Amino acid sequence: MGLPRPLLRILLPALILVGWEVASLLVANPYILPTLESVAQVLFTPLTDILGSGSLVENALISIERVALGFLIAALVAVPLGILMGRSERVKTVFDSTIELFRPVPPLAWVPLALAWFKIGLASIVFIIFIGAFFPILLNTIDGVRGVKRTWVEAAATLGARERQVLFHVILPGAAPTIWTGLRVGFGIAWMCVVAAEMLPGTTSGLGYLILYAYNFGQMQVIIAGMVVIGLIGLSIDYFFKGVEAREFGWRELER
Amino acid sequence: MKLQIQGVNREFVTEQGEAVHALDDLSLEVQEREFICILGPSGCGKTTLLRIVAGLDRPTSGQVLIDGHLIDKPCPRLVMIFQEYSLFPWRTVRENIAFGLEIQGVSREHRKDAVDRYLTLVGLSDFGGQYPYELSGGMRQRVAVARALAIEPDVLLMDEPFGALDAQTRNVMQRELLRLREKTQKTILFVTHSVDEAVFLADRIVVLTRRPGKIREIVPVTHCPHPRDRTCREFVEIRRHVLDLISEGSTD
Amino acid sequence: MTFLRPLAALVCCAALLALAGCIASTPPTTAEVGVLYSKGTGPMPMLLATDQVDGYIAWQPFVEVAPLAGIGKVIAYSGDLPPAGRWKNHPCCVLAIRTDLAAQNPGAVNAVTAATILATDYLQANPDESAEIVADWLAGKGDFTYGNITVSSVAVLQRAFPTVKFVNEPTEPWKNGQVEFVHALRDLNTLTGSLQNASDTEIRGILFDTQPYTAARAMIYAGRITTPPKVTRKLGIGYLMSDHDAALFVAVKKWQYFNDTYGVALRPQDPSKTRPDLVDLIVNGQKVAEIALVPGDAGPQLMQLAATDAVQFAYVGNPPTIAAIDKGTPVKIVMALNLEGSGLVAAEDSPAKDWPTFVQWAKDRSASGKPLKIAAPGKGSIQDVMLRYALRDSGLSVKEV
Repeated sequence: MGLPRPLLRILLPALILVGWEVASLLVANPYILPTLESVAQVLFTPLTDILGSGSLVENALISIERVALGFLIAALVAVPLGILMGRSERVKTVFDSTIELFRPVPPLAWVPLALAWFKIGLASIVFIIFIGAFFPILLNTIDGVRGVKRTWVEAAATLGARERQVLFHVILPGAAPTIWTGLRVGFGIAWMCVVAAEMLPGTTSGLGYLILYAYNFGQMQVIIAGMVVIGLIGLSIDYFFKGVEAREFGWRELER
Repeated sequence: MKLQIQGVNREFVTEQGEAVHALDDLSLEVQEREFICILGPSGCGKTTLLRIVAGLDRPTSGQVLIDGHLIDKPCPRLVMIFQEYSLFPWRTVRENIAFGLEIQGVSREHRKDAVDRYLTLVGLSDFGGQYPYELSGGMRQRVAVARALAIEPDVLLMDEPFGALDAQTRNVMQRELLRLREKTQKTILFVTHSVDEAVFLADRIVVLTRRPGKIREIVPVTHCPHPRDRTCREFVEIRRHVLDLISEGSTD
Repeated sequence: MTFLRPLAALVCCAALLALAGCIASTPPTTAEVGVLYSKGTGPMPMLLATDQVDGYIAWQPFVEVAPLAGIGKVIAYSGDLPPAGRWKNHPCCVLAIRTDLAAQNPGAVNAVTAATILATDYLQANPDESAEIVADWLAGKGDFTYGNITVSSVAVLQRAFPTVKFVNEPTEPWKNGQVEFVHALRDLNTLTGSLQNASDTEIRGILFDTQPYTAARAMIYAGRITTPPKVTRKLGIGYLMSDHDAALFVAVKKWQYFNDTYGVALRPQDPSKTRPDLVDLIVNGQKVAEIALVPGDAGPQLMQLAATDAVQFAYVGNPPTIAAIDKGTPVKIVMALNLEGSGLVAAEDSPAKDWPTFVQWAKDRSASGKPLKIAAPGKGSIQDVMLRYALRDSGLSVKEV
């Protein structure tokens, strides 16, 4: 494969598009495989209202808002808790078994409880997204804090740093790359939870809702268009995280 | 400045449940501007001793006093320089050196002046903007020394600082350290297991026994003027004497 | 290689079981039809078009979608299903209200009931305009694309409207129809609570509270709706994405007209929304309550919301309501919304054209070992109950798939 990098990147997606068009013509049943054109038509009119449920752009923004909120709350809880657990073996022991108990439970399973506790509305959606983002952020933060070399902490201490200064000037910067990875993974999962979260009754907007609504009216091309948008947004945000990682945390990889 | 180590005892129990007696009733007085090397076979507790002096560890009994004040936690009058991972990898050389001053709340301008001064002192003026991962081992340790000196401590505590360097760099660094010491007139406590290094650097060599670490003997080297010639008669004699002390200690 | 012998034994056992499995699948003794429960009616046209089901029974407008999109044909509308005459003018959707709200805020409940009554009357008088309103609510008056065919939602709704008989009065025949439903559900062994052994009179007492309807009618007749005291908490109305709930859509979209003409309206807080989710109950110019409009997938889910007090009003089918009341959900049926309005659809290429030929088709397919698969929305929904009853009446047994 002597092709230049950018070409390699779009090779597979291009092949998929071609394969799709061919397959849809062969299968000739638009219910199984909607044509590329029908999906493209939805994608290239992102500002047009779909089935009275708002446009692709409108719903995308709403979903992003919700995910951002759930993610932020998860980060605000998980990072400090992770630092506490990473620093103190005792604290970790207290929380460990509870966390390991809840971690494998998929966010979707929390839906009925979310509805019962938070009623219909933004809070229940944000809760589901919170659950999705919380654990990766927490676990990575603990990891990152534990990965901070003891000598860094001790060097700082003998240089006169007090407890709080060690936290902000050594622990946090030292753990930052791993915490950032946790945030990246956490956001990815939170974004995946969008569809699940927006399945809650009473939700009347968002990409997940749009997809479900389209499903209820059998509009396959809207469903696929929605999936594409979800994928693209997820990809862009991941790129952002990776970009910051490369710029700020390069030292991590290159450390001896 | 007077540093007094009085009857320090250190016992602890390992994770496996073993009782370890690391240091046994150790007493030592360090004079101002002295260069003391602490030497001994592996596991004799020399690092433990250094950490207790730094305030990073507490003695089971006994105490360490600096000018009469008890050392029970780290204090910037006694700065520690480690063998590895001493620098903060997310900070540039300048930012590393500035660390202690930043902590103290020194203004940006004053910090800059101090950093410039110490960068020049250790001969790394051109490398201020580099990150630790871009530097060689020897250069990193020089930055570590600069960082320690920047807060103008009373004592430098060095835990085998050149142990991870290759032989040539090691020699260079030893001469560098002596030059810096000449310039800054600091008191230095230097832990090593290299007899050669100890004889080359120290004013006095404190030789410890095997665990539990006690003082076997304190060997003065002051009558050998710097720069010391490794081939000269006194050097060779002192080295042989110290070596004997150590091998005796190992077979006890 | 000591594991070879037990391994061989294992393989032989597996082979024998597989063989036994093949032999054991003889055709069932009575002709059988499989019922597949899809969540709501939306996926049904797609399931039919991709041959995953042989037909479906749904509420409007999804019945009309099939012939319009060329994927299926209507076998029978719900009123025509056997037993003959049983389902004619069968009650379909109703307005159910939580009893605690009716007790605490009767004035507000009467006002909402009045709004619903007025909307239904309007529906009956203006079917074409109303069909458009429903198309707007459900699909923003946009187009539906089914494969290569694009149909306008307005066209679909206008075709469906005549089959949905909009009424509101809880008449005697209507009440009898409801009691009939209770009997049907009993036969199907789905009632285990208060309605299981109740007499017909008791059933009426348990199911109905037509006080709000009577009070509302009186106010409308007198030309004045009494302004009720404000309701402090936020209320909720649950509804389905179907033209059966057209009364709600018309009440909200034409709020200005109802406000000016009668002094009671459900005013959307954001009128620019195609599908408002928050309305204010306005009586004589005063805001009395804030109400959330909550769409549900199917009746049973709506009743769940009512049971947890997430909604206090439900525009919903009667079997899910009956089942919920039976289990103890504190709601009562206040008035009717519509009669009939559902239909059975079969694949375009099936030999069935009406119910008798459909039954024959079912029997033939069952005999050949490939029983029919019919999709129904949600277990316990009105369509599900009618289908199963009709199939049983025609000598077919039903299996859930």
